[in-house]
Amino acid sequence: MKWLETPQDESERLLREGLDQATQRLGDEITHRRVWAKVAEGIEQPQPRVWGRYAFASAALVLLVGVGVVGLPKLLRSHGARGTSAAVVTKSAATPTVARAAAGANVASVTPVDQTALLESERVPGHVVRTRAGEHARVALGGGAEAEMAENSAITWDNQHRPSIEQGSAQLSVPHQPPGWRFSVTAGPYVVTVVGTRFEVHIAANTVAVEVNEGVVEVWRGSRSTRLVAGDSWNGPLHPDEAQLPAEKPQSIAPPPVKAAGPTNRGLQAAEAALQAGDTSKAIEILTRTAAGTGPAAENASYELGRITRYNLNRPRQAVALWDRYRTRFPSGLLRTEADLSIVDTLSTLGDGRAALAEADAFLAHHPQSERRLEVQKLAERLRAAESAAGQR
Amino acid sequence: MCNDDDKAEAALTEQKAIMGGKQVTKTPSPTQTPLADSELVRAARSGDMTAWRGLYDRYAPLVHRFSAALGIPIDEREDATQDIFIAVYRSLRHFRGEAQLSTWIYRIAARHAIRLGRRRRTRELMRLTMLKEKPSITIDPSERSTHVATLDRMLAKLPPKKRTVLVLFEIEGLSAKEISDVVGCPENTVWSRLHHARAEMVKAARRMVS
Repeated sequence: MKWLETPQDESERLLREGLDQATQRLGDEITHRRVWAKVAEGIEQPQPRVWGRYAFASAALVLLVGVGVVGLPKLLRSHGARGTSAAVVTKSAATPTVARAAAGANVASVTPVDQTALLESERVPGHVVRTRAGEHARVALGGGAEAEMAENSAITWDNQHRPSIEQGSAQLSVPHQPPGWRFSVTAGPYVVTVVGTRFEVHIAANTVAVEVNEGVVEVWRGSRSTRLVAGDSWNGPLHPDEAQLPAEKPQSIAPPPVKAAGPTNRGLQAAEAALQAGDTSKAIEILTRTAAGTGPAAENASYELGRITRYNLNRPRQAVALWDRYRTRFPSGLLRTEADLSIVDTLSTLGDGRAALAEADAFLAHHPQSERRLEVQKLAERLRAAESAAGQR
Repeated sequence: MCNDDDKAEAALTEQKAIMGGKQVTKTPSPTQTPLADSELVRAARSGDMTAWRGLYDRYAPLVHRFSAALGIPIDEREDATQDIFIAVYRSLRHFRGEAQLSTWIYRIAARHAIRLGRRRRTRELMRLTMLKEKPSITIDPSERSTHVATLDRMLAKLPPKKRTVLVLFEIEGLSAKEISDVVGCPENTVWSRLHHARAEMVKAARRMVS
C-alpha cells in the first residue's frame, strides 16, 4: 500500500497527488531526442586525461585569481551603479538590449546581445530581447537557429519555450532540424513551423506577415495551416475574427495553400487512439484513408503507415516499401529525412547490407548537414567492411 | 520475405533502432521479448551504437524524472541528463552486473545531482553575498500550477540525503535494499531517513495548507 494512499486531510492529499504527478514526469520525446543527439556527440569525443584536467583547473584558478584581483572591484562598482529596483536601459544607442523580466518581479537586467549569444538558460518565458530605433541585433534562438532583428523589434519566449515575435520584424535562419522535430516560432495567434530554412516574420499593428527565402515553412493557427515554399509570402490579421479561420492564400507562386487540416488531424488522433488501444488494423485503416488526402496530415499518415507496419506489424520489407512510396509522393516532405533514416535502419536490420549501404550513401549525399550524419557514416563503414569481407569469401 | 521478416523480428528489440524515427508505442506481441539489460550492456560495451541507443531510450525517462525530483531545474536538466549518460557510457566497462543496471544508473545520477546542487548553492551564495542578488528559482512553466510544483518546493527544504531516499522510495519505487545500494548505506539507515523525510514532508505540507 502506498504512503498516504488514504489521506487524512488536505495536506496529505496535496502531498500524495504531488508524488503521483512526480512519477509521471518522464520528459517528452523531443527532449530525449535532443539529449540523445548531445550524448551521441559527447561520446564521440575522447575523454580528457586526468592530468590535463588538473592542468586546466590550475590554469583556470590562476586566471580567476588574476581576474578577481583586477576585475572584482570594477564589477561590484558597476553593479552598484545599476541598482536593482528599477528597469534599466543601456545608455549606448547603438547597442541592442536584452531585457530580462525576473519571474514575478518588475526588475529587468539589461545586457548587450551583439556581444554574447543568449544562454540556453536565458531562453525562458518572460525574457525579452528588444531593439530600439537604429538598432539591429543577432540573437541565437537555440537549436542553431538565429534571428536578425530589425530596429524597433522584440522577441520573447512563450510558455513552451518557443521564440515569439512580439513587435517589428526578424529574419530567421534555421539549420536543418534533426529527424522528428521542428523549429517553431510564434507571431500573434500564428505558429510558424520549419525544419530548416531562412524566412522573415513581420508583425505590425494589425497584420502578421511571413516571407520565405529558402526551404519550407508551415504557418499554423489552431488546427489549420498553410505551407509556404521559397519565394512565397503570406499575411494574416493579427486579431483574426474567431469565425474566420486562417490560411490566407500565399501571394506569389508556389503550391496552393494546404487545405484546412481539421478533420484529417482528427483522423490522425483517432489512429493514435486505436493504436493505443491495441487495434492496429483500425489504425491502419484510418491512416490509409488520411494518407489518400492531401496536405500535412496526408504526409504524416503516409509516414506513419510505414512506422506501424515496421514496429507494430513487424513487416520490415513492407514498411520499406511504404516509406519508399512516401518518398515518391513527398520528395521534399518534412519527414523525408526521417523516412530515409528509417529505410537505412530497416534494411540494415534485415541484413540486406548492399541495399542498406546504397541508402546510407544516398543519405549522406542528400543530407550533408544532418545531425545523424556521423551515425550513418559509421553504419556505412561497417556495412562496407561487411560487404567487402563477404566479397572476398 | 517471411524469412526476412523472421530474421528481422529476432533482431527487433524493445529499444528503438539507432535511426528509427519516432517514439515507438509498440504493442508487444507474444513472440517479442525485449533484450535484457545485460545483453544490451554487453553489446554496448563492444561498441554497438544500436544497443547503446536502446539503453538510452530505456533509461532516459527514468533519469529525467529522477533529476527533476532531486531538484535539478528545468534549464539544467537536459545538460544534466546528457552528463549522466556520458558518465554511464564511460563507466559501462566497470559495470559488473552485481546490481541491477537501473540501480547503478540511479547511483551515478544521484551523485551528479548532489554535485550540481552543491555547485548551485555555492553560486547562489556568491551572488547573495557579493552581488546581493536573490537566487532565482526556475520552475517548469508546464508544472507551475500543479501539485508537483508544490511538492518540489517541499522537497527543496529536505536535506539532500533524506531527499534522495524519499524520492527513490516514493517516486522511483525502489525497495529499501535497492536504495541502500544506490546511496551506499545500511538498510536501517534508509528506513530511518525515510521516516524522518516523510515526517518533515507532512509537516511542510501542513504548513503550506494552513
